[in-house]
Amino acid sequence: MNDSEIIRILASIIFQSTPLMIAVSGETITERAGVVNLSLDGTMLMAAMTGFVVGLKTESLWIGFLAAAAVGALFALIVAFGNIRLRQSQVAVGFVLTLLGDDLSSFLGQNYTRIPGPVVKHFGIPVLKEIPILGPIFFNQDATVYFAFILVIVTWFLLFRTQPGLRIRSAGERPESAFARGVNVNRIRYLYSILGGALVGISGAVYSFNVKLGWSEGHTRGLGWIALAIVIFGGWSPVRGAFGAVLFGATKALATFLQKAFPEVSVVAFNSIPWLLMIAVLFVAGSDVTERLVVFMPRFVQRPLRRLLRVAPPMALGTTFGED
Amino acid sequence: MSLQGLVERLPRLVRVFDFLLPLLATLAALAIGAVMLVLLKASPLESYSALLEGAFGSKNALADTLVKATPLLLVGLGICIAFRGGVINIGGEGQLVVGAVAGTLVGLKFPDASGWLIVPSALLVGFLAGGIWGGIPGFLKAYFNVNEILSTIMMNQIAVQGMNYLLRGPMIDPVQLEAASRIPQTARLSAQFDLPRLIPTRLHLGTGLAIMAAVLVFIFLWRTTAGYRIRAVGLNPHASRYAGVNVKRYIVLSLLLSGAFAGLAGVIQVYGVNHRMFTDGSATGFTGGAGFNGIVAALFGQLHPLGTIPASFLFGALLVGANKLQRVMQVPSALITALNGLVVVFVVSSELWRRRLARARTVETKEEALPPTDAEAKVVP
Repeated sequence: MNDSEIIRILASIIFQSTPLMIAVSGETITERAGVVNLSLDGTMLMAAMTGFVVGLKTESLWIGFLAAAAVGALFALIVAFGNIRLRQSQVAVGFVLTLLGDDLSSFLGQNYTRIPGPVVKHFGIPVLKEIPILGPIFFNQDATVYFAFILVIVTWFLLFRTQPGLRIRSAGERPESAFARGVNVNRIRYLYSILGGALVGISGAVYSFNVKLGWSEGHTRGLGWIALAIVIFGGWSPVRGAFGAVLFGATKALATFLQKAFPEVSVVAFNSIPWLLMIAVLFVAGSDVTERLVVFMPRFVQRPLRRLLRVAPPMALGTTFGED
Repeated sequence: MSLQGLVERLPRLVRVFDFLLPLLATLAALAIGAVMLVLLKASPLESYSALLEGAFGSKNALADTLVKATPLLLVGLGICIAFRGGVINIGGEGQLVVGAVAGTLVGLKFPDASGWLIVPSALLVGFLAGGIWGGIPGFLKAYFNVNEILSTIMMNQIAVQGMNYLLRGPMIDPVQLEAASRIPQTARLSAQFDLPRLIPTRLHLGTGLAIMAAVLVFIFLWRTTAGYRIRAVGLNPHASRYAGVNVKRYIVLSLLLSGAFAGLAGVIQVYGVNHRMFTDGSATGFTGGAGFNGIVAALFGQLHPLGTIPASFLFGALLVGANKLQRVMQVPSALITALNGLVVVFVVSSELWRRRLARARTVETKEEALPPTDAEAKVVP
């Protein structure tokens, strides 16, 4: 394997993990506000299908993406409404929506399977793509990839460096205190569930317009769950989440590579790698294993390392907030 | 009848309404389905009569409905235990597959043994295998704080991969191997292992076992200490800990039992219906989605083991009837799945309305406040 081939593989890993980055950013916003949108898998399927069909009919990528975002927003709105108005468990509503999205997308999209549709065009950024090594990996991609990069940074900035971000996090951490301080917790939760859901919807359309072209039954099945796992792995930070998405893409690429290298080993073993890795990742992220290791580090790296590895869910995640 | 008498009777009428609400919700979902049927240029009336006939029209149809409801009920029982224990098990599909594979192995290993010996041991092995598959996420959740929603989903995928490997390789039917068609399925289990048929239909003993299991789970959850503790942990882990309950152990136990019942569903599916294990590459090929639909049945049955019995019966009827509907009316199969999805959403949301109404009533009549129901127990993934 020569250098150019390695660069090509790395570029494809970045490309493949783009939609996951977008979905993870969206769900991170939603969960920071205290709402778990468990319907991600169904949402992405519905959005991928709707976006594709609308894009095909109108011959416009923009309208396709817009429709996908609307579908994502609608699903998130149902979760938020079920939780806030109907006082129902977010997990139950989200799970039912997952099943519904899966079924409905295969029903409504059955006449549109395996036909070519609009495609996001390749767009290398001039100058930047000439940078050796980094250029071809990061800047000789499609517009959706750059959108994902920018989105991750904007999401991070929104959450941790702006006043709305502070309100979002307060709604997810201590809704009672936030409410006492004059934050309209439930409005925040509605608003940012919908925003996060719209981003998840866009990520579905990125699959059908860009990464996995077209539509087929169960087009993105399973990826929504992966995105949910990466949100946890990312410690509810969009930047770490983006790294998680790339890491997942890398293990998939590694699995494909190993499979070619060791054809005698069952394909099953390699297909299981990403899933086993996700469990391992959740294991490391959630347990105090890392803390035990950190103790052995020199004192001056302990604090930044702890900050880096910190994984604590928003304290009020998944709970219902009643103002009364 | 005096006005006073009517007022006194009102609560009972309301309770009847509560009971009818899920059925009304089902009807509402079917009404939307009717619109979809019209759009597909099929007569809704004919379609739904085909559905009803398919589900209840004959002795055979009724038996098929019961057979279809059996895995839903068993998975649903496990879900009742898990959700009551405050953990969420979305790994029913994987646990069912693992239980089925393990149970099948027993039958394949001793083809000449007596059915009296093999069938109970296969059921036990499947129960245990499913329990282990559910217990792993439970262990990870209790001791390493790994989110069980996600780990059970991942375990599903791993189970499917394992099943595909075994059925394409080590466990494949020797006949398939010789014929070079290599359909990924095992040999048929010896005939003496078939679960006895109850009446001359496809109805088998497994359905009876499942109903017995429902009663046992009810007794377990409400009449034993372990069951009480599971429910206590589900309602308030902190309070339970101060009361001296080993919370971690009961988290593992509830997921373990949850997986065990799904595993049992898998073995019963093999020994009662298919008499062999097969795969189409996905989990649903074998399970028919029972691992997921069982969750819905349990939610519909209000997470009560006995309530889950009629709930699974209804969903079984819907699945069997939909098959007939599809054959008779030539509508796409995706319509059926969409219809199921609609029923689920309507039924669950009707449950939400019921609870809201109940709360509104208590506020109005200034009665003592309702205790929070378990489904409202806060879940932090």
